[in-house]
Amino acid sequence: MKVIPIFAEAGISGFESPAAEYKELGLSLDQLLIKHPNATFIGQANGDSMQGVGIFNGDLLIVDRSLTAKNGDIIVANYNGCFVCKLIDKTHALLLSASSKHPPVHIKPEDEFQLEGVVTRSIRLHQKSPEILLCTL
Amino acid sequence: MYALVDAVSFYASAEKVFDPSIRNKPVVVLTNNDGCICAVCPIARRLGIPKFKPYFQIKYFLEKHGVVVRSSNYELYADLSERMMNVIARYCDNQYIYSIDESFLEFKNYGNLIGDWHKYGHEIRKAIWKETRLPVGVGFGTTPTLAKAANHAAKKLTGFNGVAVIDSNQTSRPILKRMSVTDVWGIGNRLGKKLNLLGINTADQLMQQSAKEMRRQFSVVVERTVNELNGITCLSWDEVRAPKQEIFSTRSFGQRITDHQALMFALVTHGSIVGRKLRQQHSLVKRLMIFASSSPHENQYYKKSIVYEFPVATDSSSQIASAISIVLQDIFQIGVYFYRCGVGAISLESQQYQQPDFFTPSQPSPLIMNCFDKINQRYGQGAVTLASEGRAEKWQMRRSLLSPQYTSRWRDIPKISC
Repeated sequence: MKVIPIFAEAGISGFESPAAEYKELGLSLDQLLIKHPNATFIGQANGDSMQGVGIFNGDLLIVDRSLTAKNGDIIVANYNGCFVCKLIDKTHALLLSASSKHPPVHIKPEDEFQLEGVVTRSIRLHQKSPEILLCTL
Repeated sequence: MYALVDAVSFYASAEKVFDPSIRNKPVVVLTNNDGCICAVCPIARRLGIPKFKPYFQIKYFLEKHGVVVRSSNYELYADLSERMMNVIARYCDNQYIYSIDESFLEFKNYGNLIGDWHKYGHEIRKAIWKETRLPVGVGFGTTPTLAKAANHAAKKLTGFNGVAVIDSNQTSRPILKRMSVTDVWGIGNRLGKKLNLLGINTADQLMQQSAKEMRRQFSVVVERTVNELNGITCLSWDEVRAPKQEIFSTRSFGQRITDHQALMFALVTHGSIVGRKLRQQHSLVKRLMIFASSSPHENQYYKKSIVYEFPVATDSSSQIASAISIVLQDIFQIGVYFYRCGVGAISLESQQYQQPDFFTPSQPSPLIMNCFDKINQRYGQGAVTLASEGRAEKWQMRRSLLSPQYTSRWRDIPKISC
């Protein structure tokens, strides 16, 4: 049934909130963190080789596939059938870690290698989150 | 100009998006209840694996060749489909999503804005691959049927690298000559056999028929197809877009059911699915068919179906559940090993044009069902259910080889080695 709602008014009904006309949409973290929603996925960091750029074990990584990786970008790649997060050195075909404990990895022709996207943001959870706790690392 | 963009064996390709370890492996996906093979990736196709073959018949062969087998992960496919459709939508102002993995585009009044359709097609393919990691084929044609034919060429015929363009007779004939008549959109196997009897074996031969004659011998549908193959547009979005006239939810059980309550749980769950689909397309059900049966391969085959008519058409899951509990006493029989059951909305009405009268019993508030649907969308299907759906697992879909729901559940997000 189509009903056209018309509010009945009878006499004085009080003042409208003086703030009503200033109302805007609330802040959205999605809007701030994700620029290309169709090309973005969220993954979870597993390991400590990227601590030098502030990515710790268990952090959330926001990966944007629509961006083209520039030299030195933090990227996610398919390296021999595994998602890895590294710094890319395109000129020397190297995957660099941000930790002195992990040497650079040279991408050889026989390796399976595909760039999967650029890590645009990482998120640290300073208190435990029940949803993320369910992730088994 | 029209375009048809669709994914290459979508379900199998979707399995590879978040699992790089199987990117270069043969992958197949199974249907509901892990019954049959419903998608075969191109690598697996080279092993000669047929589609729609029962899984158990081919299990050993698959193991021997190291084929990765997955259950249908609808949650993942729905999310990837939406992303793919959104990327496609950037390339045309008139998109019609035809199925989970197919999308038509209509380029009306584009003039000479797009100079090179081949190049444009490759741009679309490249963007979808880069942003979603799904491989697609793109076909352009001067009618929807020709776009579908070009898409067939792009994906299945040699000499096309994922893009084909039909913009004239010169470009259409070589493609149509290489297509069997059953590859033409809308020509099924049965119709194909009849056409074969007339000596019409290829799409090109069908194109050369007189449209009027085809209408006389077969139907207006075939007449339109012939016209479309000749570049005369006969199909419009609105015709294909019409809401479904019937909605069914039915499935066989993992195990046989013998008790009244378990059958009730299963039927109400199907009823709940039907209710949700009704609300999605803004329809109401007037007549509901409820049925259950034993396996036809067993002795004493039992089947019973009852049509329940609602006094006033409804889309409320709880009213559907009440209808089911009313007819269940006539369907259930002690001693029957129930194998299959289902619920179907067989006569639908539009929600928009309902005209209740003064004596109509009041309907439950649509707000409740709206809230119910929203909770389930937010927290996953089954987050809230009707009490009469129960918690029985017996009849639920068997998906023993399911991949994680990478994009819709926190616990399933992909792990990235650092």
